[in-house]
Amino acid sequence: MPPRAIKAIFFTRFHHEKGSRVLHQVPEGSITPSTSPAALSQPLFAFDSITTYLIPTQQFCDRLLTFCVNHYRIIGYPVCIREGKYSRNEFIFNFAIVVEEGVADWVAYGEVVRKLGRLLRGLEEQAGFLSREEVGVWEDEGWQREGGRLLSGGGSKVYALCEMILEDLNNYAECMIPIDESNTINLKLFPTHSPPPPIHAHHVPLLTISLHSLTSPLSSDLTLTRIIPFINGIHSVSHIAQLADTDLSLTRKAIQHLVYYNCVVLLDIFSFGAVYAPTAEIGGYITDQAVQEECARYVRVPRMRFGSGVRMGSESTPSQSRDRGRGSSLSSEPSDTAINEPAYPSSNADATPTLETLITLYTSLRQGVTLRTFVLENLSLLHGIDIRRFVTFGVIKGFLYRVHKYPVSTSTGSREAHGVNGKAAAGLLVAAPLGSTGTGTSQASTVTLQGQNQAENRTESANPNPNPNPRSQQRLNNHRPSIASTNLHLAGIAGLEKQADMAHAEANTAARLGSIISSRDDREADLSAGLVKFLDGMHCFDEICTETGVGEGEVERRIKGVGVGAGDVVVVFR
Amino acid sequence: MALPLPPASNLHSILLVTKSRSLGPRLVFHYPPLSPSAAALAANKAPAWFGNDTSTGSIASHSDSSDWDSSTETEDDIEAGSRTSGGRGSGRTTASHREKDRHRPSPGVWGRQESVDEEDADGEDGEGKAAGAGKEKGGDYDWHTVLGFQVDALEKMLCPSKAFNKRRFELGVEGIVFVGAPRFVRDDGYWKKPRRRKEKVAKENLEGSVIKLKVTDSDEDPSPQTVSGSASGRASAEPFEYPVGFEPGYGHGLMSGAASEAQSEAGSDTRSNSTTDNAPDMTMFNIVFVLNPPALEYQLRVKEMYDNVARKFAKALKYEQARHNYIWKESKRVIDIKQRAKENGEPLSVTWHQLINTSLLAKSVAIMFDAISNDKIAHLHFDKHFSTSFQIPQADSTPYLPNALEPQMPGLWLTTSNVVIEEDDYAPMTQHAALLLLEDAETLVKELEGDSKGTTTGLAFYVRTITPTKSLQKISIKHNILAHDMMNIAGHLVYWRRARFIPPLHPRDTYIVSPNADMSALQAAISAYAARFPTLPSLPKILSMLSGTPRPWRTMIPTNEHREAYMEILAWLMRGGWVTQLRTFAWVRVTVEIKAQVAADMEREAREKKIEEERRREMEDNESLSERLFEGDKRTSWMINRPSTPMRRRQDEDHTESNIMLSPRQGPYRGSPARPSSDAGSTSSNRTTIAASSNHPPSPSAQQAKQTQPHRPSPLHLKTTSPSQAPTMAAPFSPPTNPLNTNLLSPSLPSPPLSLQNFTPSLVLSPQKAKEKEARWLEKIGQSFAEEDLRELWPMLLRHLDGRHAIEDIAPREGLKRKRVWNLFHGVRDGGWLVSVRHW
Repeated sequence: MPPRAIKAIFFTRFHHEKGSRVLHQVPEGSITPSTSPAALSQPLFAFDSITTYLIPTQQFCDRLLTFCVNHYRIIGYPVCIREGKYSRNEFIFNFAIVVEEGVADWVAYGEVVRKLGRLLRGLEEQAGFLSREEVGVWEDEGWQREGGRLLSGGGSKVYALCEMILEDLNNYAECMIPIDESNTINLKLFPTHSPPPPIHAHHVPLLTISLHSLTSPLSSDLTLTRIIPFINGIHSVSHIAQLADTDLSLTRKAIQHLVYYNCVVLLDIFSFGAVYAPTAEIGGYITDQAVQEECARYVRVPRMRFGSGVRMGSESTPSQSRDRGRGSSLSSEPSDTAINEPAYPSSNADATPTLETLITLYTSLRQGVTLRTFVLENLSLLHGIDIRRFVTFGVIKGFLYRVHKYPVSTSTGSREAHGVNGKAAAGLLVAAPLGSTGTGTSQASTVTLQGQNQAENRTESANPNPNPNPRSQQRLNNHRPSIASTNLHLAGIAGLEKQADMAHAEANTAARLGSIISSRDDREADLSAGLVKFLDGMHCFDEICTETGVGEGEVERRIKGVGVGAGDVVVVFR
Repeated sequence: MALPLPPASNLHSILLVTKSRSLGPRLVFHYPPLSPSAAALAANKAPAWFGNDTSTGSIASHSDSSDWDSSTETEDDIEAGSRTSGGRGSGRTTASHREKDRHRPSPGVWGRQESVDEEDADGEDGEGKAAGAGKEKGGDYDWHTVLGFQVDALEKMLCPSKAFNKRRFELGVEGIVFVGAPRFVRDDGYWKKPRRRKEKVAKENLEGSVIKLKVTDSDEDPSPQTVSGSASGRASAEPFEYPVGFEPGYGHGLMSGAASEAQSEAGSDTRSNSTTDNAPDMTMFNIVFVLNPPALEYQLRVKEMYDNVARKFAKALKYEQARHNYIWKESKRVIDIKQRAKENGEPLSVTWHQLINTSLLAKSVAIMFDAISNDKIAHLHFDKHFSTSFQIPQADSTPYLPNALEPQMPGLWLTTSNVVIEEDDYAPMTQHAALLLLEDAETLVKELEGDSKGTTTGLAFYVRTITPTKSLQKISIKHNILAHDMMNIAGHLVYWRRARFIPPLHPRDTYIVSPNADMSALQAAISAYAARFPTLPSLPKILSMLSGTPRPWRTMIPTNEHREAYMEILAWLMRGGWVTQLRTFAWVRVTVEIKAQVAADMEREAREKKIEEERRREMEDNESLSERLFEGDKRTSWMINRPSTPMRRRQDEDHTESNIMLSPRQGPYRGSPARPSSDAGSTSSNRTTIAASSNHPPSPSAQQAKQTQPHRPSPLHLKTTSPSQAPTMAAPFSPPTNPLNTNLLSPSLPSPPLSLQNFTPSLVLSPQKAKEKEARWLEKIGQSFAEEDLRELWPMLLRHLDGRHAIEDIAPREGLKRKRVWNLFHGVRDGGWLVSVRHW
């Protein structure tokens, strides 16, 4: 919230004979000219030009109305109470706040105004909180000079309300004003947060504040309470769900909430097979010494380990992981070191890497080089540096990015390759449409079924294939995304088929094949088949590994297997 | 500069309101005919930051997260909810106009989850429209409400007082906002100043708008927000100026000054039309755009809409009104047709169809809405003389890769090449840039021809000459085109999203798969690619080739014959944001040896100068001698290639240096007699240089011998303790500059030791703005080069070694051969003088 953003607060009433009048304004003279000695010399804007919006037609009452004039934004909530006791059966008022037009998060003020409007409506309906004060005010034509002064000076509750709200919100962003025994006005400016991103199972959350130090329970959300001890910047969301024994989708939601309140940043799964490269913001790191020093403090290994060159982050000592568990992170780093430092005062100093070393290391990360290679290349420089922290620091600060690996199947390539493989496939291939990867048509789904049946038939015919190894046989079949499309073509439907449908069809086929062939290979078959759906280029290896629960090497092997002899799966680094 | 946000106009409706003497405030036309109610719009406010790439789990959590929101209102505002116009219609229009609008209420961005479902709306429709048409209620037959508001109430609200002439009209109702650009008739009944009084523009404006506002002075405030599209502000509204003759050729040009000039003769007799009885009927019109921007983007979206669309549209309309009473003529026609249809109880959709076919104005509004709400460019043809285009400009590149928490814009080209480096005194990079057409030249030419009736051959010729592999400068030289024309056309094409400035594509440059590539578009791209390059390796293959260790593009090209095709592929990939160029950035690294040498030099100079001065003092009386001495003095300073500077200054610099060596942390050493002066000028030096704290050279290839050093605890650091000591040291140390000066000046005192131990390598962050000390280091480095060429071009090279200029840009900028530049660069880098990094 910008400091002292509220420029004025005023209370407008509509009188059935005298029209719209400003009864109270803080500061004096901010809305209509005032003779008060402390008044502003000039109103902030011309009140007359906006009365339509302050006291609008009934249609627009009881809604948040904002209006811009003269670089100010007036946020009002006109209220119209229809009751017989008022003249013309209506009581219309507006309690409005003035902020500068450019205030980015004026919505927070809008919420306050809305709440206030409703509260005042309630107070007026209950006991005439507003109308009580006005007795006699309107009679006197010169109310503005005398009555107005009287009101504001003479203990008008509404005026006091204006004053207190202005001061409290400007100074403390909240206020609590007791009205009577049963009513209290509680207001608070809540900053607007950006919407949280979707949380994927392969994201790795890292706390930015220490939630463990909060004395009161964070929330009554059981999932949240359970997962927090496992958020440490190492475990992926799905791993956390496993460790905490919580439902994955609930875990994701809980983490999303933490993200929403900026308690968590999202990282990627750390592994030495991962590739990291600098972004354009690396220049900012190199020119900012404060960040480098922060980095040096963050990445150094807290304890001197004699004889060990590189300390792997993932093998952190119990003490360290306990620290992490307590919410160690960038911001909590000072406390982290405070915990460690007394214990190992002398060795710590030695371990701090030099800023120049860090620059050298960061600039030698590049596309196409895995962390493993990087470590081996720079082993001597990495002394006393926690590699994982080294990487996460860069990722958090935005000057490093993870180069993700995406397997992508090229179906055209696979089809060509099929000609070499099965005899049956060769026959089918002749008719394979060139553009089978084209945009989908509505026919695709019906065709898929058909394709499946035919594929099944084909499997039976393919069974006597001389290949003795059932598994590789099955894999062979699996790896022909063109089966369905080919059949589609044979079935005489000229439409093009959607890639996803093909993959789906193939997955089904593969699943059936798996059950047909042998139960021993069931799991394997399911897995390999399941992998096919990840090959559309939208799923990175991290995601696939998390989803399937299989290591990266294994996934890679199987994906390669999917493309046996065809080379139809390529890996794109992005 | 922040991350660009995905384009999202959040536009939901356009209203045209007029105020006339005969009819009063009147909502003349709104489009689309059926729109969701304001309440429904206000509830739908999730910014499209994360695309539709949300799996089921997260979608669920999106909607559920509102439970968490502390500011969620429990009280249900029934009144607001009930005023849903065309509840059923809202369902339809949402589907037809805004598929992209995902109904994803995000946690209380507007605080209140109004959650007016279509069902609710329908259910309450009856009551809401009790006073309505009678036979049918709501939906297509609802003539009485627009956006859930009674038309008459809305009319009043959207007709501001004359104080708002030419200003931004911004009225927020809950989460939706009406952004308008009201225009009033002048007091003398004209819509346009008579020509001969043009000079008095400012005065006239003042006259026109000073009404009762005491604060009207700000009306003439030249800030872009207040200078609305008035006649005087015409020039500012135009991003480009075109050579005369191009703007009619390019059909959807801006409202160009030339065009309006040409028409103004015709326009000057508007009086006969618009003011038949010298009292114009219409006194005001207000074109209002209805948006529901998410709270966090509110200011940005409203400003974009007003500056780029609302204001300019109002200006164009006013121009037409001034010429031949366009708005009022059209408005009367529209009102007429609507009135008849209403009486006959015709459905809105039919009537609107008819309106759009009969009224140019209605058609313009409809075209405008359809284009802008889909973030496209709206081409409006007012008549055969006047057509113009509107758009909200979009970012075409960003240097920032968003992280998982930030708004995503997959597919946006990731590069630093479009980042404007301020304080760059070069000619703008654009002339060294190439132009990448975002559609094929022939397609573009056809489009241009279709757009305009005039001749486009000239423009077509230009467009056909454009190739992404050649800089605009080269193209203009080759085809004998004026550079100025070329730039104009290029700017025009870029502004209207037909092209993009890129560094010329070159086989020797390195390209990587852009980390911001839109993988969800891959499947579509694969087939598009296959159709375009059927005989070449498939798109995934190409991307995979670009995935490993970055290599120059030419290494992917199998044979020379393939070169052209592969360059085309590259251009195609660039166009889709699939790849980006990997560019090299570097900083100069100053080694300890250089520092020691420079320090020694300076000390020697100081001594020499001292001696010189002493001798001069001795021979003060002898004029002739002193003359010679001055010459000598000059010569020495010339020898070191620096302007002679006062002694004091140099020594200050020297202290700075010593301070770098002893960073504030070295508490124990501050009393050391060897470096008594360590802290003078510490702040400035810390800002500009990196005080690395060990003798470790950063380049592992060079100076392998030194590599062991950092691992050995250096004596300087052994006793370093907590950094908390640093601040306490700062204060007591500032004064001793003067004593030191005298120390150094007197030859009897021992000079500071210049052993390498006392220096740490550091980076020169911006050689252009190097301090004197740094400049001397750089100079010294330059002298150390063996190759003549390198020595000669070192100063030129230095200009680019600030980490912000890509080495790839040197060749075109400096007019050197690319190979030569790389030889220079590698020469310097292999010498260990650079910290270099590659990114986009």
